[in-house]
Amino acid sequence: MLGFSNGSGGGGVGAEDLAQLQSTMRAIELACSYIQINSNPVAAEATILSLHQSPQPYKACRYILENSQVANARFQAAAAIRESAIREWSFLATDDKGGLISFCLGYVMQHANSSEGYVLSKVSSVAAQLMKRGWLEFTPAQKEVFFYQINQAILGSHGLDVQFIGVNFLESLVSEFSPSTSSAMGLPREFHENCRKSLEQNFLKSFYQWAQDAALSVTSKIIESHSSVPEVKVCNATLRLMHQILNWEFPYSKGGTRASINVFSDGIRPDNALSRKTECVIVQPGASWCDVLLSSSHVGWLINFYSSVRQKFDLEGYWLDCPVAVSARKLIVQLCSLAGEIFPSNNVQMRDQHLLLLLTGVLPWIDPPDVISKEIEEGRSGSEMIDGCRALLSIGTVTTPVVFDQLLRSLRPFGTLTLLSMLMGEVVKVLMANSTDEETWSYEARDILLDTWTTLLTSMDGSGGNAWLPPEGIHAAASLFSLIVESELKATTEDDADCLASVSAMDERLGSYALIARAAVDATIPFLAKLFSDHVARLHQGRGTVDPTETLEEVYSLLLIIGHVLADEGEGETALVPDALQSHFVDVVEANNHPVVVLSSSIIKFAEQCLDAEMRSSIFSPRLMEAVIWFLARWSFTYLLLVEECNLGSNKLQSLPSRACLFTYFNEHNQGKFVLDIIVRISLTSLTSYPGEKDLQELTCFQLLHALVRRRNICFHLLSLDSWRNLANAFANDKTLFLLNSVSQRSLAQTLVLSAYGMRSSDASNQYVKDLMAHMTSSLVDLSNSSDLKNLAQQPDIIMLVSCVLERLRGAASATEPRTQRAIYEMGLSVMNPVLRLLEVYKHESAVIYLLLKFVVDWVDGQLSYLEAHETAVVINFCMSLLQIYSSHNIGKISLSLSSTLLNEAKTEKYKDLRALLQLLSHLCSKDMVDFSSDSIETQSTNISQVVYFGLHIITPLITLELLKYPKLCFDYFSLISHMLEVYPETLAQLNNDAFSHVLTTVDFGLHQQDVDIVTMCLRALKALASYHYKEKNAGNSGLGSHAAGHTDPNGVFHEGILSRFLRTLLHFLLFEDYSTDLVSTAADALFPLILCEPNLYQGLGNELIEKQANPNFKTRLANALQVLTTSNQLSSSLDRLNYQRFRKNLNNFLVEVRGFLKTR
Amino acid sequence: MSDEEHHFESSDAGASKTYPQQAGTIRKNGYIVIKNRPCKVVEVSTSKTGKHGHAKCHFVAIDIFTSKKLEDIVPSSHNCDVPHVNRTDYQLIDISEDGYVSLLTDNGSTKDDLKLPNDDTLLQQIKSGFDDGKDLVVSVMSAMGEEQINALKDIGPK
Repeated sequence: MLGFSNGSGGGGVGAEDLAQLQSTMRAIELACSYIQINSNPVAAEATILSLHQSPQPYKACRYILENSQVANARFQAAAAIRESAIREWSFLATDDKGGLISFCLGYVMQHANSSEGYVLSKVSSVAAQLMKRGWLEFTPAQKEVFFYQINQAILGSHGLDVQFIGVNFLESLVSEFSPSTSSAMGLPREFHENCRKSLEQNFLKSFYQWAQDAALSVTSKIIESHSSVPEVKVCNATLRLMHQILNWEFPYSKGGTRASINVFSDGIRPDNALSRKTECVIVQPGASWCDVLLSSSHVGWLINFYSSVRQKFDLEGYWLDCPVAVSARKLIVQLCSLAGEIFPSNNVQMRDQHLLLLLTGVLPWIDPPDVISKEIEEGRSGSEMIDGCRALLSIGTVTTPVVFDQLLRSLRPFGTLTLLSMLMGEVVKVLMANSTDEETWSYEARDILLDTWTTLLTSMDGSGGNAWLPPEGIHAAASLFSLIVESELKATTEDDADCLASVSAMDERLGSYALIARAAVDATIPFLAKLFSDHVARLHQGRGTVDPTETLEEVYSLLLIIGHVLADEGEGETALVPDALQSHFVDVVEANNHPVVVLSSSIIKFAEQCLDAEMRSSIFSPRLMEAVIWFLARWSFTYLLLVEECNLGSNKLQSLPSRACLFTYFNEHNQGKFVLDIIVRISLTSLTSYPGEKDLQELTCFQLLHALVRRRNICFHLLSLDSWRNLANAFANDKTLFLLNSVSQRSLAQTLVLSAYGMRSSDASNQYVKDLMAHMTSSLVDLSNSSDLKNLAQQPDIIMLVSCVLERLRGAASATEPRTQRAIYEMGLSVMNPVLRLLEVYKHESAVIYLLLKFVVDWVDGQLSYLEAHETAVVINFCMSLLQIYSSHNIGKISLSLSSTLLNEAKTEKYKDLRALLQLLSHLCSKDMVDFSSDSIETQSTNISQVVYFGLHIITPLITLELLKYPKLCFDYFSLISHMLEVYPETLAQLNNDAFSHVLTTVDFGLHQQDVDIVTMCLRALKALASYHYKEKNAGNSGLGSHAAGHTDPNGVFHEGILSRFLRTLLHFLLFEDYSTDLVSTAADALFPLILCEPNLYQGLGNELIEKQANPNFKTRLANALQVLTTSNQLSSSLDRLNYQRFRKNLNNFLVEVRGFLKTR
Repeated sequence: MSDEEHHFESSDAGASKTYPQQAGTIRKNGYIVIKNRPCKVVEVSTSKTGKHGHAKCHFVAIDIFTSKKLEDIVPSSHNCDVPHVNRTDYQLIDISEDGYVSLLTDNGSTKDDLKLPNDDTLLQQIKSGFDDGKDLVVSVMSAMGEEQINALKDIGPK
């Protein structure tokens, strides 16, 4: 029927058809050339698109492919075949399906020697996609026919070009079946998954073998010839294909849970989520691949191949970067990370032999390190060396440090760890020598090698701390670490350009360095202590005479490095003292001599000097202070005032005396409180004596102080300290702390309120908070009572004061805890009226308004769940007044300005305000979900849903469709709406007409958004709406009443009800628009109740669709499909889970069946 | 409490047009005087003078009257001038032929010395609403001796 079923040969085309085909070809060629010269591209694109969208354009496409001289036109024709075949697949005849694929395959084989490679690879990928589309319906025999053809091609019986094409096709096929690279076909995920499974289990290994055979067939030719031969191209393709196949995830070959157990017993760790810069995928193809990859001497062949060709082209430096060399190395690196069941568990040597073989091959790339690095610096390509590093990383990923170290011993007098250390040392030296900004090979090599160390060393940490490196490895780590420190200190003093990197910027790298240091603590801790005291001494000597910048910078870096070595980043968890530091230094009995204590004490002593004004001005620059504060924060979290049970961790070394003195030295009976006092005094100094140093202040507030009060036991000590009292006093009364920037202001208030936990009783805690905040609240009250408020409020100093106070109130509000809830409730209560007054006077000062709103949002969020009924009523009334005042100021307001920047700012401010208001409403909603008050549910006097709808009513007019373009606002708005509709549909029905239609207009708008989340929320809202109506109707109630029924307006025009409108919209959406397949189930859930609500309209729409179809064949198909949609799977008309599920299934089938031809124009 | 406590006294007639404020505390969306012009800050960034020096603030701001962009760099511990920006709402009574507006003040008198903006779009925005017979409130922004209409609000037919 389509002229494809009879395989090749294009005869039998009538003269009329021929003319038609020729004109199509002419049009497409013209369009392609127009696009190329960019003249009237829109029209040209339309021409091409019309080919893509025309029904069954295969004949034309085929004609173009076979006859056109314009390569682009052929490309477009191939694309059109793909597009329409995928669309029309469900109603193509079986013969045609096969015919299309064999045509594509035949085409590429015939034109294998064509110079336009991109056309060939397009056609070949079209063949691959179509093959996947039909994969589950073709019989094994059908597939056999295709693959026989491919196999013949790959074996090389039709020449090199065809061989290349065959390999290339398999490449497309594999990538089509692999989930991350597959192309969309409008089918459920299940389909793709089944295809993947089938390919993996039945074909993948054969493909690999074919590639191996093809590679073998050309190897000797390449090795023997002395110039570049065409075989290289084939060889490269096969290497790429093998690499790609090994990249497959092999989810079905691991044999269930048993495999994961084996992974452990093999000494291979599961790939824990390390944040590594270099990607290293573990290849686990399963036991069945053993013969292909291991016993067939495949690896040996590959290594030999690479080394012999490498030797041959030794003199020609460019060879290292040739595609074939790159692919071969990639494959070698990949084979290094082979793991899992492929190695039989009863034969451990097999894996070691495999790795040893690979290491032997890789060794010449990296050893001896100094010679190699010198060669690279003299102009050789660094890519081979970098691949060598990658191979080490791969081996490190699949082995334990001991096995890793042993590998090299049979080849060299030293272990692999020593080689790794030497190699990295060499790289670090090169980095030190040329500190240029440009990214060179050494940067990349350093990162990869660092990852290797990280991988090896974290594996030990996890295994309980006993599997230390072998002695030689420890030595290697120690010497590498001192080299690293040297280079870091040197680097920081040299480059002036990016000196302003913040403390956390280097975190990741320093974290890896710390692991190396911890692998050899016996040497590195004393080394760091010595280095630090040397530098401090140097600072003191040169004070006042020498420019200290260089030394300051070195101390800065040292503090960061030491901080990383001594303590881990807590990230919200309790950071334990690193294992290595706990279990070493066994012979230390006195705390004063413990190297970690010595190092920590010397740094604290140094930090304490910043309290002296003179020292501060000469030594403690803001930047150095940042490092000091950062260090103190990190250190104190791990060492200061430890509580026995939680910071010790589970460790067998409990009884070690060295360990005991490390833990007790900084506890409350020893130096703990003293050090805590120093830390608080340093914090106060950094807040008051460094005016305008934003980074420093933020660091002090967020990292240091906040981390301190997060630990409950420390709060008790803090409150007993004079220094902490001073800090609280300064906060309440001292003007200098009003100069902190806003976030620090907020954080400080939060911190101080949180510290109230340390009071002995709840009453005392509340009193503490009250005293702390009294001054703030009274200043707001005083201001708002002032008779001349209107003028006064506009003064800059008052604006600043108000902003500060609001930030602080907000900070305090966000620190609400059960213990201090009373005080914070009263704090908010006392400023309610002032807040409303200020909302009035600052209506043009959007920055203040935003602070006001945010304070209320946080306060309500913290308080609401604790409040009793009468308190809730007060809060809710307050929120409603707030909403009303805000709304009355902003409805219909237009900013006039010449500056587009200022206009945009105004819009952004409005968006932020609205977002805060929506958050407020969401928080109010939560009262219905979480409620700790003592009232029983019956006494609940306020109906939250009504309040929130009322609120929505107030603010929806402010939310314009324009503003919904802000993604976050859009998200907040629709999540609130869908939540409301799902939980309280009955209240929506009571909204007045305007509000109701406004809400639904926005839902309609949301349905047409690009964002899947937004559409999902709107669909959920629709589902809720329709199912509510349906259920109410069935129960004999009015449901949505007049909203659903539709009405006739005074002009006699009938406006249909809301559900009818959405049924129409949703059907149109599902049938004709583009959307993600993920949406289909949610859409089904919405469509089902809509159909039940409006069965007549649905019938009508269905008939309309059927009538529109010109093709009688499609007409019946569509009618059947519509019939099946609502009847199959025993679908009944009740809205229960089972029916929803059935309908989802039905809709999926329905769409697969009809979307193809409905979308054709 | 400390003797630095704030007392809210109404400012006298000769209230200063600007106030000093530490540069580090001026934020985005706040006001600042640059080259003797009142501006709104649209961007603040901080940097350091040299590695171990002190922080300084880099302000990008827009003249609230002329919409010109101005920039300034100030050490963050130093003071900047912040303009006293006042905004007053008036009901729009009339737009005269010569481009002046007539505004109704709170105490019932009229204010007739304010000229309409020169820019056509702004002019259009004001005029069209007025011509439609809407009740309009204009907000007049004044600072450092200049004033201008900066916002418009439709309070709807009563």
